[in-house]
Amino acid sequence: MPQRDVEISISKTGEVKVHLKGIKGKSCLKFGAFMAEVVGKVKSQQLTSEFYEPEEKAAIRLEQKQGK
Amino acid sequence: MSAILILTPLIIGAGWPAVTAAAAGAAVALGLTVRATAREGIAAAEEETAVKNSVELEVKNSEVLGNVRTEQQIVLRAKDGVEVRVKRDARGRCVVCASGKGKTKAELKAFAEQFTDRMTQCFVYNRVMTELKAKGFQVMSEERAKDETMNIRVRQWEA
Repeated sequence: MPQRDVEISISKTGEVKVHLKGIKGKSCLKFGAFMAEVVGKVKSQQLTSEFYEPEEKAAIRLEQKQGK
Repeated sequence: MSAILILTPLIIGAGWPAVTAAAAGAAVALGLTVRATAREGIAAAEEETAVKNSVELEVKNSEVLGNVRTEQQIVLRAKDGVEVRVKRDARGRCVVCASGKGKTKAELKAFAEQFTDRMTQCFVYNRVMTELKAKGFQVMSEERAKDETMNIRVRQWEA
């Protein structure tokens, strides 16, 4: 099972630094928006290489062969 | 790594109980005790503080929900006689007032700023933890650094 790790630092003035790990692509932006809604407004945002990796998708392909 | 966000806290849309909880958390951390929350206690405290120096600070980016007709206030006292009052003003802003006999305005301002910062930190901590737990995150570690920063690590397992 993939995991999502989040490191949060709340400074003594209440400013929050959120470090998202293991969250790729759109999910990352979605979670960032959620955190902004919880805390306040976004002061800065830095996207890292993992952000540009494709999101993991699981799919099962079913095929049925018809006998003659 | 996916992203690093820096967020500025807003105390907007907060209810008075959430502000009170944050004020109580800051009070515990700074060694203050709750003196009064009831209206009568506050009136008596106001009479006494009339002769003291006092400083009032508005908490940045704050807007507390509540009934404008109801006065909402919490009075806290430090060991050295400094009194801190946290209240919601008529515009809904959260205000911190520090007063004390024999204290200069600069000393009171410094104390009010320290209290306001700690209260904001407690407010953000309470809110973040509540929302992350509701989303199914588990707290892996939590510690307070020497510079008073709260470091929290949470994890969520995707189904």
